[in-house]
Amino acid sequence: MVYSLALRMTGDRGLAEEIAQDTFLEFDRHLRTIKSEDHARWWLRRVAMSRATDALRRRRVRGMDLWVALNEQDGVTSEEKSSPLGARLEYLLTTLPGAQRAALILRYQEDMMPEEIAALLDAPVATVKSNLQRGLKLLRAKALSQLKEFIRGA
Amino acid sequence: MNRRGIGFRLGALAMAAGMLTAAGRAQEGLPLAPAVEKELAAKASDVTEVTLGKNMLDFAAKFMNDKNGDDAQAKKLIQGLKGIYVREYTFDKEGDYSMEQLQQLRAYFETPEWSPIVRERERKSGETTDVLMKVVNGETQGMFILEAAPKELTIVLILGPIRMEDLGELRGIGGLGGALGPLGGVQHTPKPNTKKGGTE
Amino acid sequence: MDEFERELRQALERRPAPPGLKRRLMAQRSATAARGGWWARLGRAGYGRGWATAALLLLAMAGGGIRWELDKRQEARRGQEAREQVLTALRITGHALNQVQTRLSDHDRQTGEGER
Repeated sequence: MVYSLALRMTGDRGLAEEIAQDTFLEFDRHLRTIKSEDHARWWLRRVAMSRATDALRRRRVRGMDLWVALNEQDGVTSEEKSSPLGARLEYLLTTLPGAQRAALILRYQEDMMPEEIAALLDAPVATVKSNLQRGLKLLRAKALSQLKEFIRGA
Repeated sequence: MNRRGIGFRLGALAMAAGMLTAAGRAQEGLPLAPAVEKELAAKASDVTEVTLGKNMLDFAAKFMNDKNGDDAQAKKLIQGLKGIYVREYTFDKEGDYSMEQLQQLRAYFETPEWSPIVRERERKSGETTDVLMKVVNGETQGMFILEAAPKELTIVLILGPIRMEDLGELRGIGGLGGALGPLGGVQHTPKPNTKKGGTE
Repeated sequence: MDEFERELRQALERRPAPPGLKRRLMAQRSATAARGGWWARLGRAGYGRGWATAALLLLAMAGGGIRWELDKRQEARRGQEAREQVLTALRITGHALNQVQTRLSDHDRQTGEGER
Protein backbone atom coordinates (compact mmCIF):
# COMPACT_ATOMS: atom_id res chain seq x y z
CA MET A 1 0.00 0.00 0.00
CA VAL A 2 2.63 2.51 1.09
CA TYR A 3 4.98 1.69 -1.73
CA SER A 4 2.15 1.69 -4.25
CA LEU A 5 0.94 5.11 -3.12
CA ALA A 6 4.43 6.55 -3.29
CA LEU A 7 5.08 5.02 -6.69
CA ARG A 8 1.90 6.35 -8.23
CA MET A 9 2.43 9.79 -6.78
CA THR A 10 6.03 10.16 -7.83
CA GLY A 11 6.25 7.77 -10.76
CA ASP A 12 9.78 7.03 -9.64
CA ARG A 13 10.60 3.58 -8.27
CA GLY A 14 13.73 4.59 -6.39
CA LEU A 15 12.00 7.54 -4.83
CA ALA A 16 9.00 5.41 -3.94
CA GLU A 17 11.28 2.97 -2.12
CA GLU A 18 12.88 5.78 -0.18
CA ILE A 19 9.50 7.18 0.78
CA ALA A 20 8.26 3.74 1.80
CA GLN A 21 11.33 3.12 3.93
CA ASP A 22 11.07 6.48 5.67
CA THR A 23 7.38 5.97 6.27
CA PHE A 24 7.90 2.59 7.90
CA LEU A 25 10.67 3.88 10.11
CA GLU A 26 8.51 6.74 11.23
CA PHE A 27 5.64 4.33 11.78
CA ASP A 28 7.80 2.27 14.11
CA ARG A 29 8.57 5.35 16.14
CA HIS A 30 4.90 6.17 16.43
CA LEU A 31 3.72 2.64 17.08
CA ARG A 32 2.64 3.38 20.63
CA THR A 33 0.17 5.94 19.39
CA ILE A 34 -1.52 3.54 16.98
CA LYS A 35 -4.85 2.46 18.35
CA SER A 36 -6.33 0.14 15.77
CA GLU A 37 -6.07 -1.32 12.30
CA ASP A 38 -8.05 1.59 10.83
CA HIS A 39 -5.85 4.07 12.61
CA ALA A 40 -2.69 2.39 11.32
CA ARG A 41 -4.02 2.35 7.78
CA TRP A 42 -4.98 6.00 8.00
CA TRP A 43 -1.62 6.94 9.48
CA LEU A 44 0.38 5.12 6.83
CA ARG A 45 -1.61 6.63 3.99
CA ARG A 46 -1.32 10.10 5.40
CA VAL A 47 2.41 10.01 5.93
CA ALA A 48 3.07 8.29 2.61
CA MET A 49 1.07 10.91 0.71
CA SER A 50 2.67 13.74 2.61
CA ARG A 51 6.19 12.51 1.94
CA ALA A 52 5.38 11.82 -1.71
CA THR A 53 4.02 15.34 -2.17
CA ASP A 54 7.11 16.79 -0.52
CA ALA A 55 9.34 14.69 -2.73
CA LEU A 56 7.51 15.88 -5.84
CA ARG A 57 8.01 19.47 -4.85
CA ARG A 58 11.70 18.93 -4.37
CA ARG A 59 12.23 17.05 -7.60
CA ARG A 60 10.99 17.47 -11.15
CA VAL A 61 10.38 14.28 -13.10
CA ARG A 62 9.71 14.19 -16.84
CA GLY A 63 6.75 12.31 -18.23
CA MET A 64 8.63 9.65 -20.22
CA ASP A 65 10.95 8.85 -17.31
CA LEU A 66 7.90 8.22 -15.18
CA TRP A 67 6.55 5.73 -17.63
CA VAL A 68 9.81 3.83 -17.85
CA ALA A 69 10.14 3.76 -14.07
CA LEU A 70 6.63 2.42 -13.62
CA ASN A 71 7.22 -0.41 -16.00
CA GLU A 72 10.59 -1.48 -14.69
CA GLN A 73 9.52 -2.83 -11.35
CA ASP A 74 9.38 -6.56 -10.70
CA GLY A 75 9.51 -7.43 -14.35
CA VAL A 76 5.99 -6.23 -14.99
CA THR A 77 5.66 -4.93 -18.50
CA SER A 78 2.87 -2.91 -20.01
CA GLU A 79 1.78 -5.98 -21.92
CA GLU A 80 1.10 -7.78 -18.68
CA LYS A 81 -1.31 -5.18 -17.40
CA SER A 82 -4.97 -5.96 -17.43
CA SER A 83 -5.62 -3.83 -20.53
CA PRO A 84 -3.75 -1.42 -22.82
CA LEU A 85 -6.02 1.36 -21.59
CA GLY A 86 -5.20 0.47 -17.99
CA ALA A 87 -1.49 0.69 -18.63
CA ARG A 88 -1.95 3.98 -20.41
CA LEU A 89 -4.09 5.41 -17.63
CA GLU A 90 -1.47 4.63 -15.05
CA TYR A 91 1.04 6.58 -17.08
CA LEU A 92 -1.31 9.47 -17.82
CA LEU A 93 -2.10 9.81 -14.13
CA THR A 94 1.45 10.83 -13.48
CA THR A 95 1.06 13.79 -15.82
CA LEU A 96 -1.76 15.34 -13.78
CA PRO A 97 -1.25 18.13 -11.26
CA GLY A 98 -0.29 16.81 -7.82
CA ALA A 99 -3.53 17.58 -6.00
CA GLN A 100 -5.67 15.94 -8.66
CA ARG A 101 -3.34 12.98 -8.84
CA ALA A 102 -3.46 12.49 -5.08
CA ALA A 103 -7.24 12.63 -5.01
CA LEU A 104 -7.59 10.11 -7.83
CA ILE A 105 -5.07 7.70 -6.34
CA LEU A 106 -6.78 7.74 -2.97
CA ARG A 107 -10.17 7.37 -4.60
CA TYR A 108 -9.40 4.60 -7.07
CA GLN A 109 -6.49 2.77 -5.54
CA GLU A 110 -7.55 3.01 -1.90
CA ASP A 111 -11.33 3.13 -2.46
CA MET A 112 -11.66 6.11 -0.16
CA MET A 113 -14.66 8.43 -0.23
CA PRO A 114 -14.17 12.15 -0.79
CA GLU A 115 -14.83 12.90 2.89
CA GLU A 116 -12.16 10.41 3.96
CA ILE A 117 -9.71 11.84 1.45
CA ALA A 118 -10.41 15.33 2.74
CA ALA A 119 -9.72 14.24 6.31
CA LEU A 120 -6.51 12.51 5.29
CA LEU A 121 -5.17 15.42 3.30
CA ASP A 122 -6.44 18.10 5.66
CA ALA A 123 -8.34 19.68 2.80
CA PRO A 124 -11.94 20.86 2.45
CA VAL A 125 -14.30 18.23 1.06
CA ALA A 126 -15.35 20.61 -1.72
CA THR A 127 -11.73 20.95 -2.82
CA VAL A 128 -11.27 17.20 -2.91
CA LYS A 129 -14.45 16.74 -4.94
CA SER A 130 -13.35 19.42 -7.31
CA ASN A 131 -9.94 17.79 -7.74
CA LEU A 132 -11.58 14.44 -8.36
CA GLN A 133 -13.91 15.89 -10.95
CA ARG A 134 -11.26 17.89 -12.77
CA GLY A 135 -8.70 15.11 -12.52
CA LEU A 136 -11.08 12.59 -14.01
CA LYS A 137 -12.09 14.96 -16.77
CA LEU A 138 -8.48 15.70 -17.64
CA LEU A 139 -7.58 12.03 -17.56
CA ARG A 140 -10.43 11.17 -19.92
CA ALA A 141 -9.38 13.90 -22.29
CA LYS A 142 -5.78 12.77 -22.28
CA ALA A 143 -6.79 9.17 -22.82
CA LEU A 144 -9.02 10.15 -25.74
CA SER A 145 -6.35 12.34 -27.21
CA GLN A 146 -3.82 9.51 -26.99
CA LEU A 147 -6.27 7.14 -28.62
CA LYS A 148 -6.81 9.54 -31.51
CA GLU A 149 -3.05 9.91 -31.91
CA PHE A 150 -2.75 6.16 -31.93
CA ILE A 151 -5.45 5.79 -34.60
CA ARG A 152 -3.90 8.50 -36.73
CA GLY A 153 -0.55 6.89 -36.47
CA ALA A 154 -1.80 3.40 -37.32
CA MET B 1 -2.72 -50.79 39.93
CA ASN B 2 -0.16 -48.14 39.10
CA ARG B 3 -0.74 -45.33 36.63
CA ARG B 4 0.66 -47.30 33.76
CA GLY B 5 -1.30 -50.41 34.54
CA ILE B 6 -4.35 -49.73 32.41
CA GLY B 7 -2.24 -49.03 29.36
CA PHE B 8 -0.19 -52.18 29.61
CA ARG B 9 -3.19 -54.28 30.34
CA LEU B 10 -5.23 -53.02 27.43
CA GLY B 11 -2.19 -53.23 25.21
CA ALA B 12 -1.55 -56.84 26.08
CA LEU B 13 -5.18 -57.72 25.45
CA ALA B 14 -5.12 -55.85 22.17
CA MET B 15 -2.01 -57.64 20.98
CA ALA B 16 -3.51 -60.98 21.80
CA ALA B 17 -6.72 -60.14 20.00
CA GLY B 18 -4.85 -58.68 17.06
CA MET B 19 -3.02 -61.89 16.40
CA LEU B 20 -6.33 -63.60 15.83
CA THR B 21 -7.70 -61.14 13.35
CA ALA B 22 -6.69 -60.51 9.78
CA ALA B 23 -4.96 -57.21 9.14
CA GLY B 24 -7.52 -54.90 7.62
CA ARG B 25 -7.32 -51.83 5.47
CA ALA B 26 -6.61 -48.81 7.60
CA GLN B 27 -9.71 -46.85 8.43
CA GLU B 28 -9.02 -43.26 7.61
CA GLY B 29 -10.65 -40.25 9.15
CA LEU B 30 -13.18 -39.89 11.89
CA PRO B 31 -16.68 -41.20 11.45
CA LEU B 32 -19.50 -38.83 10.76
CA ALA B 33 -21.96 -38.65 13.59
CA PRO B 34 -24.43 -41.42 12.98
CA ALA B 35 -28.09 -40.67 13.38
CA VAL B 36 -28.12 -42.25 16.84
CA GLU B 37 -25.74 -39.59 18.15
CA LYS B 38 -28.14 -36.89 17.05
CA GLU B 39 -30.93 -38.71 18.89
CA LEU B 40 -28.82 -38.97 22.03
CA ALA B 41 -27.85 -35.30 21.86
CA ALA B 42 -31.47 -34.30 21.45
CA LYS B 43 -32.49 -36.23 24.56
CA ALA B 44 -29.51 -35.32 26.76
CA SER B 45 -29.68 -32.50 29.28
CA ASP B 46 -25.98 -31.83 28.81
CA VAL B 47 -23.75 -32.58 25.85
CA THR B 48 -20.04 -32.26 25.33
CA GLU B 49 -18.73 -32.91 21.84
CA VAL B 50 -15.16 -32.70 20.65
CA THR B 51 -14.09 -33.70 17.15
CA LEU B 52 -10.45 -33.20 16.26
CA GLY B 53 -8.98 -34.40 12.98
CA LYS B 54 -5.30 -34.70 12.22
CA ASN B 55 -4.96 -31.13 11.00
CA MET B 56 -6.58 -29.71 14.09
CA LEU B 57 -4.43 -31.87 16.37
CA ASP B 58 -1.27 -30.76 14.61
CA PHE B 59 -2.45 -27.17 14.80
CA ALA B 60 -3.25 -27.41 18.51
CA ALA B 61 0.14 -28.98 19.22
CA LYS B 62 1.83 -25.79 17.99
CA PHE B 63 0.19 -23.89 20.82
CA MET B 64 1.13 -26.34 23.57
CA ASN B 65 3.86 -25.28 25.87
CA ASP B 66 6.57 -27.92 26.10
CA LYS B 67 7.51 -26.62 29.52
CA ASN B 68 4.02 -26.87 30.95
CA GLY B 69 3.29 -30.29 32.48
CA ASP B 70 -0.19 -30.84 31.09
CA ASP B 71 0.64 -29.36 27.72
CA ALA B 72 3.80 -31.41 27.39
CA GLN B 73 1.95 -34.61 28.25
CA ALA B 74 -0.90 -33.82 25.91
CA LYS B 75 1.46 -32.96 23.10
CA LYS B 76 3.24 -36.25 23.53
CA LEU B 77 -0.03 -38.17 23.56
CA ILE B 78 -1.48 -36.67 20.42
CA GLN B 79 1.69 -36.89 18.41
CA GLY B 80 0.99 -38.82 15.22
CA LEU B 81 -2.70 -39.30 15.95
CA LYS B 82 -5.17 -39.11 13.09
CA GLY B 83 -8.10 -37.97 15.19
CA ILE B 84 -9.87 -37.79 18.52
CA TYR B 85 -13.63 -37.97 18.78
CA VAL B 86 -15.33 -37.58 22.15
CA ARG B 87 -18.96 -37.41 23.12
CA GLU B 88 -20.29 -37.09 26.65
CA TYR B 89 -24.03 -37.11 27.30
CA THR B 90 -25.82 -36.56 30.58
CA PHE B 91 -29.49 -37.39 30.92
CA ASP B 92 -32.08 -36.24 33.39
CA LYS B 93 -33.54 -39.64 33.99
CA GLU B 94 -32.91 -43.27 33.43
CA GLY B 95 -34.32 -44.70 30.25
CA ASP B 96 -33.63 -41.57 28.20
CA TYR B 97 -31.51 -43.72 25.97
CA SER B 98 -32.08 -47.32 24.97
CA MET B 99 -30.02 -50.49 24.64
CA GLU B 100 -30.80 -50.44 20.94
CA GLN B 101 -29.10 -47.11 20.60
CA LEU B 102 -26.03 -48.43 22.40
CA GLN B 103 -25.95 -51.41 20.09
CA GLN B 104 -26.09 -49.11 17.07
CA LEU B 105 -22.99 -47.35 18.35
CA ARG B 106 -21.17 -50.62 18.90
CA ALA B 107 -22.23 -51.92 15.49
CA TYR B 108 -20.11 -49.27 13.80
CA PHE B 109 -17.02 -51.06 15.08
CA GLU B 110 -18.07 -54.59 14.32
CA THR B 111 -15.51 -54.93 11.57
CA PRO B 112 -12.44 -57.16 11.30
CA GLU B 113 -10.07 -54.29 12.14
CA TRP B 114 -11.57 -53.80 15.56
CA SER B 115 -11.16 -56.29 18.38
CA PRO B 116 -13.23 -56.18 21.55
CA ILE B 117 -10.88 -55.98 24.50
CA VAL B 118 -13.20 -55.23 27.38
CA ARG B 119 -16.85 -56.01 27.61
CA GLU B 120 -18.35 -55.57 31.06
CA ARG B 121 -22.03 -55.64 31.92
CA GLU B 122 -23.31 -54.98 35.41
CA ARG B 123 -26.88 -55.97 35.78
CA LYS B 124 -27.49 -54.31 39.12
CA SER B 125 -26.33 -50.87 38.20
CA GLY B 126 -27.11 -51.18 34.52
CA GLU B 127 -23.62 -50.01 33.66
CA THR B 128 -21.73 -51.30 30.64
CA THR B 129 -18.18 -50.87 29.46
CA ASP B 130 -16.86 -51.61 25.99
CA VAL B 131 -13.32 -51.12 24.86
CA LEU B 132 -12.27 -52.03 21.34
CA MET B 133 -8.87 -51.70 19.81
CA LYS B 134 -7.82 -51.51 16.24
CA VAL B 135 -4.67 -53.48 15.56
CA VAL B 136 -3.00 -53.29 12.16
CA ASN B 137 0.12 -55.32 11.45
CA GLY B 138 0.66 -55.81 15.14
CA GLU B 139 0.38 -52.15 16.01
CA THR B 140 -2.43 -50.40 17.83
CA GLN B 141 -3.99 -47.91 15.50
CA GLY B 142 -7.16 -47.00 17.30
CA MET B 143 -9.20 -47.26 20.47
CA PHE B 144 -12.91 -47.04 21.06
CA ILE B 145 -14.44 -46.73 24.53
CA LEU B 146 -18.14 -46.79 25.27
CA GLU B 147 -18.99 -46.17 28.89
CA ALA B 148 -22.68 -46.36 29.71
CA ALA B 149 -24.30 -45.56 33.05
CA PRO B 150 -28.04 -45.10 33.56
CA LYS B 151 -27.84 -41.31 33.16
CA GLU B 152 -24.53 -40.87 31.44
CA LEU B 153 -22.86 -41.97 28.23
CA THR B 154 -19.27 -41.46 27.24
CA ILE B 155 -17.92 -42.26 23.79
CA VAL B 156 -14.23 -41.98 22.99
CA LEU B 157 -12.69 -42.79 19.65
CA ILE B 158 -8.99 -42.29 19.03
CA LEU B 159 -7.49 -43.05 15.65
CA GLY B 160 -3.80 -43.38 15.01
CA PRO B 161 -0.84 -44.93 16.75
CA ILE B 162 -1.49 -45.20 20.46
CA ARG B 163 1.38 -45.80 22.79
CA MET B 164 0.01 -47.90 25.60
CA GLU B 165 2.57 -46.65 28.07
CA ASP B 166 1.20 -43.12 27.55
CA LEU B 167 -2.39 -44.06 28.29
CA GLY B 168 -1.73 -44.02 31.99
CA GLU B 169 -0.64 -40.38 31.68
CA LEU B 170 -4.19 -39.45 30.75
CA ARG B 171 -5.23 -39.83 34.33
CA GLY B 172 -2.85 -37.05 35.26
CA ILE B 173 -4.44 -34.67 32.81
CA GLY B 174 -7.91 -35.65 34.01
CA GLY B 175 -6.99 -34.69 37.56
CA LEU B 176 -6.46 -31.08 36.58
CA GLY B 177 -9.88 -30.53 35.10
CA GLY B 178 -10.71 -27.60 37.34
CA ALA B 179 -7.60 -25.69 36.38
CA LEU B 180 -8.59 -25.63 32.74
CA GLY B 181 -11.46 -23.26 33.33
CA PRO B 182 -14.03 -22.73 30.57
CA LEU B 183 -14.13 -25.26 27.79
CA GLY B 184 -13.19 -22.68 25.17
CA GLY B 185 -13.99 -23.93 21.73
CA VAL B 186 -15.46 -27.20 22.89
CA GLN B 187 -19.08 -27.56 21.94
CA HIS B 188 -20.74 -27.86 25.31
CA THR B 189 -24.48 -27.68 25.41
CA PRO B 190 -26.04 -27.40 28.81
CA LYS B 191 -29.75 -27.54 28.29
CA PRO B 192 -31.87 -24.85 29.93
CA ASN B 193 -33.10 -25.38 33.46
CA THR B 194 -30.72 -28.25 34.13
CA LYS B 195 -27.72 -28.42 36.34
CA LYS B 196 -24.37 -28.26 34.57
CA GLY B 197 -23.05 -31.71 33.88
CA GLY B 198 -20.61 -33.33 31.51
CA THR B 199 -16.99 -32.84 32.39
CA GLU B 200 -15.92 -32.11 35.93
CA MET C 1 -19.10 4.43 -11.50
CA ASP C 2 -18.82 4.39 -15.28
CA GLU C 3 -16.66 2.18 -17.46
CA PHE C 4 -13.77 4.61 -17.51
CA GLU C 5 -13.71 4.80 -13.75
CA ARG C 6 -13.77 1.02 -13.53
CA GLU C 7 -10.81 0.85 -15.88
CA LEU C 8 -9.02 3.41 -13.77
CA ARG C 9 -9.71 1.44 -10.62
CA GLN C 10 -8.34 -1.70 -12.23
CA ALA C 11 -5.31 0.16 -13.51
CA LEU C 12 -4.66 1.42 -10.00
CA GLU C 13 -4.56 -1.93 -8.25
CA ARG C 14 -1.89 -1.80 -5.61
CA ARG C 15 1.60 -2.56 -6.75
CA PRO C 16 3.61 -4.82 -4.46
CA ALA C 17 6.81 -3.55 -2.93
CA PRO C 18 9.98 -4.95 -4.45
CA PRO C 19 11.58 -7.78 -2.43
CA GLY C 20 14.73 -5.78 -1.99
CA LEU C 21 12.87 -3.20 0.01
CA LYS C 22 11.51 -5.78 2.42
CA ARG C 23 14.94 -7.28 2.90
CA ARG C 24 16.48 -3.90 3.57
CA LEU C 25 13.87 -3.01 6.12
CA MET C 26 14.25 -6.32 7.92
CA ALA C 27 18.01 -5.93 7.95
CA GLN C 28 17.68 -2.42 9.28
CA ARG C 29 15.39 -3.58 12.05
CA SER C 30 17.74 -6.42 13.00
CA ALA C 31 20.67 -4.03 13.10
CA THR C 32 18.77 -1.63 15.28
CA ALA C 33 17.69 -4.40 17.59
CA ALA C 34 21.28 -5.60 17.95
CA ARG C 35 22.31 -2.10 18.91
CA GLY C 36 19.53 -2.05 21.50
CA GLY C 37 17.77 0.84 19.80
CA TRP C 38 14.18 1.83 19.87
CA TRP C 39 13.16 -1.31 18.00
CA ALA C 40 14.65 -3.54 20.66
CA ARG C 41 12.81 -1.56 23.31
CA LEU C 42 9.59 -2.15 21.45
CA GLY C 43 10.36 -5.84 21.20
CA ARG C 44 11.14 -6.06 24.90
CA ALA C 45 7.85 -4.36 25.68
CA GLY C 46 6.30 -7.72 25.07
CA TYR C 47 6.04 -10.52 22.58
CA GLY C 48 2.71 -9.22 21.34
CA ARG C 49 3.98 -5.72 20.62
CA GLY C 50 7.07 -6.79 18.70
CA TRP C 51 5.08 -9.30 16.74
CA ALA C 52 2.36 -6.79 15.93
CA THR C 53 4.93 -4.33 14.67
CA ALA C 54 6.64 -6.87 12.47
CA ALA C 55 3.33 -8.03 11.06
CA LEU C 56 2.11 -4.49 10.39
CA LEU C 57 5.26 -3.59 8.53
CA LEU C 58 5.32 -6.72 6.46
CA LEU C 59 1.79 -6.44 5.25
CA ALA C 60 1.99 -2.70 4.72
CA MET C 61 4.95 -3.39 2.48
CA ALA C 62 3.16 -6.16 0.71
CA GLY C 63 0.37 -3.75 -0.08
CA GLY C 64 -2.06 -6.12 1.51
CA GLY C 65 -3.44 -3.82 4.15
CA ILE C 66 -3.02 -4.70 7.76
CA ARG C 67 -5.35 -7.61 7.76
CA TRP C 68 -2.42 -10.03 8.17
CA GLU C 69 -1.76 -8.70 11.64
CA LEU C 70 -5.32 -9.40 12.64
CA ASP C 71 -5.09 -12.82 10.99
CA LYS C 72 -2.13 -13.67 13.22
CA ARG C 73 -4.05 -12.71 16.33
CA GLN C 74 -7.01 -14.71 15.16
CA GLU C 75 -4.76 -17.67 14.51
CA ALA C 76 -3.37 -17.45 18.02
CA ARG C 77 -6.87 -17.38 19.42
CA ARG C 78 -7.93 -20.35 17.31
CA GLY C 79 -4.80 -22.19 18.39
CA GLN C 80 -5.65 -21.70 22.05
CA GLU C 81 -9.18 -22.89 21.42
CA ALA C 82 -7.86 -25.99 19.68
CA ARG C 83 -5.50 -26.61 22.57
CA GLU C 84 -8.35 -26.42 25.06
CA GLN C 85 -10.39 -28.81 22.98
CA VAL C 86 -7.55 -31.31 22.99
CA LEU C 87 -7.11 -31.05 26.75
CA THR C 88 -10.83 -31.49 27.29
CA ALA C 89 -10.92 -34.53 25.01
CA LEU C 90 -7.99 -36.06 26.82
CA ARG C 91 -9.55 -35.32 30.17
CA ILE C 92 -12.75 -37.08 29.18
CA THR C 93 -10.73 -39.98 27.82
CA GLY C 94 -8.79 -40.20 31.05
CA HIS C 95 -12.01 -40.27 33.01
CA ALA C 96 -13.37 -43.03 30.80
CA LEU C 97 -10.19 -45.05 31.23
CA ASN C 98 -10.47 -44.61 34.98
CA GLN C 99 -13.88 -46.16 34.78
CA VAL C 100 -12.58 -49.02 32.68
CA GLN C 101 -9.79 -49.63 35.14
CA THR C 102 -12.22 -49.63 38.03
CA ARG C 103 -14.39 -52.21 36.33
CA LEU C 104 -11.45 -54.39 35.45
CA SER C 105 -10.27 -54.22 39.03
CA ASP C 106 -13.73 -55.11 40.28
CA HIS C 107 -13.87 -57.97 37.82
CA ASP C 108 -10.51 -59.24 38.96
CA ARG C 109 -11.58 -59.11 42.58
CA GLN C 110 -14.74 -60.99 41.84
CA THR C 111 -13.01 -63.68 39.87
CA GLY C 112 -10.07 -63.80 42.25
CA GLU C 113 -7.52 -63.13 39.49
CA GLY C 114 -5.82 -60.30 41.35
CA GLU C 115 -3.82 -57.51 39.77
CA ARG C 116 -1.25 -58.25 37.12
